[in-house]
Amino acid sequence: MKPAALGPDKSLKGRSKSNPWFKEIWKHRMTYTLLVPGLIWLILFAYLPMGGLSLAFKHYRANDGIWGSPWVGFENFKYVFRDPTFAQAVWRTLYVNIIKLVITFPFPIILALMLNELRMGRTKKWFQTVFTFPQFLSWIIVSGIVINVLSYDGLLNSTLSLIGLPTINFLGSEKMFLPMLIMTDIWKSTGWGAIIFLAAISGIDQDQYESAQIDGASRMQQIFKVTLPNILPTVTVMFILNVGGLMSAGFDQIFNLANAATQNVSQVLDVYIYRITFQSSTDFSFSTAVSLFRSLVNMVLLLAADRIAKLMGGDGLFR
Amino acid sequence: MSTTAVKKQRKYRIGKMTVLDYILMVVLIILSLMILIPFWNVIMISFSSQKEYADNPMMLFPKHPTLDAYKALFQDGRILTGFWNTIKVLVVGLPLSLFLTSTMAYGLSRNKFPGKKLIFFLVLFTMIFNGGIVPLYLVMKSLHLTGSLWSVILVGSFSAFNMILMMNYFQGLPESLMESARLDGAGEWKILFSIVLPLAAPIMATITLFYGVAFWNGWYDAMIFLRKAEMLPLQNVLRTIIVESSTNVSNASSVDAIGKTGFSTGMKMASVFVSMIPIMCFFPLLQKHFAKGVLTGAIKT
Repeated sequence: MKPAALGPDKSLKGRSKSNPWFKEIWKHRMTYTLLVPGLIWLILFAYLPMGGLSLAFKHYRANDGIWGSPWVGFENFKYVFRDPTFAQAVWRTLYVNIIKLVITFPFPIILALMLNELRMGRTKKWFQTVFTFPQFLSWIIVSGIVINVLSYDGLLNSTLSLIGLPTINFLGSEKMFLPMLIMTDIWKSTGWGAIIFLAAISGIDQDQYESAQIDGASRMQQIFKVTLPNILPTVTVMFILNVGGLMSAGFDQIFNLANAATQNVSQVLDVYIYRITFQSSTDFSFSTAVSLFRSLVNMVLLLAADRIAKLMGGDGLFR
Repeated sequence: MSTTAVKKQRKYRIGKMTVLDYILMVVLIILSLMILIPFWNVIMISFSSQKEYADNPMMLFPKHPTLDAYKALFQDGRILTGFWNTIKVLVVGLPLSLFLTSTMAYGLSRNKFPGKKLIFFLVLFTMIFNGGIVPLYLVMKSLHLTGSLWSVILVGSFSAFNMILMMNYFQGLPESLMESARLDGAGEWKILFSIVLPLAAPIMATITLFYGVAFWNGWYDAMIFLRKAEMLPLQNVLRTIIVESSTNVSNASSVDAIGKTGFSTGMKMASVFVSMIPIMCFFPLLQKHFAKGVLTGAIKT
């Protein structure tokens, strides 16, 4: 089969010395037609908007559109970097996401270790089903549940006052906003996050446990001396990948759990971009400049995370 | 040696429960209750009357379950419009997204051709860099798509991540099948639809669920691109009902806010519950396919 297929290929190459590149393209013309629908999508909804980022260097005039508005160089950026709310939004993003990452990160690992130690296969599956379910709900649905449970007369505060503890204003105070984000994030995402670590654990060579048992290691010792060191590469890679998303993480959650009382503490970069673009003034050049800053920092973080993850022996973001 | 090892292994697996096992079991039960009770609370409030809820906001077991909240919710009708709009998005968006994704995935999964690397890079690049919401909004506006459900459908109908997952699957199919079809004179489009796709049922199911959940849970695009309330998909309607009508949940003046919008707590919880039901119905499928996707996407390909 193979030589027969190669035959006409060779003769074709021989004949097309004049323009081999064009012949190659002609030969694959059918393949190109396959790519056309996807390419049209990419151009319209990915690359045109990317080109639209040029607006960051222009003065937007509604009548002239993105492409017709006059160039102004870096002027928009001067305003952006001088704007104190912009700087606050950047720091708020890093502050919220770094603290959230550091606190929430260990939970899926602990849950995976616990589920792995559970001896009954069937209950393990049941637990996993319960723990992973919230991940599939949108943050809007989850915020409906959260607002209900954490509100002033909600389940949690009612329980607190029933056992004589002071109630906590989870949703309407600036001080409680970040703890509330951390709580709800743990509630929603821990079960799902554990899946990757469970998979890593199931890949550990059983011989290691056997020899540890022969050496008389207790179960706790097996967890700390066999399981954890074995999943450490996965843990490191997952952490680095999370760092890659620091600039863009958590928008859905923050946007849907914020309210008038927490307006200031909820102003992370993406929320700031939304507010300046669609709620307050509509200076599209200014918000595009902020957008461009965000996309660039995001890209640098992602690429750095990818490179470091690969250096650590992981697969990185893109295989 | 190996038989003793097997015995040891089995002993480790079934051996009698130690104190540690019981503690672990109790901890896991408490944790799962922490997940389940909020859901239970939401569902029970939706089945209790307004008066009963006001007397006892800690609602776990309503004494006189009623469907009043559901009746009021469906009479208001907004949630039904939301459902209908989301169904429209799914009915058009799913076939479209599968078409865009599978044609490109098949095109890129086959032999080398000039420009293949460039096109793959163009796809990959969208995963690390994007224009952001402002230029996208302006482009959509200049295409006259804002204010139409098409904006939500089109923006959501291609994802580089899904395309790469599908492409990897196609690359694993034996080339000889396609080669023999080519010798029989079949074109690439025919090969895709009559040979590749029938063989790719597992990945098609996975990707369909990925797009399906993304369309079902999506709200940001609709919030940006759509203006009229009667066009909004389910999640946005839900957001209006829950988030926007309870901005002051924390303080006493919340009574006013709730009174103004006309959604009782029972109705809110009923709307949360009905929006959850489809995800609950598909959950066993979703869990299986998403786990597979995450593991192939992040651990190894």
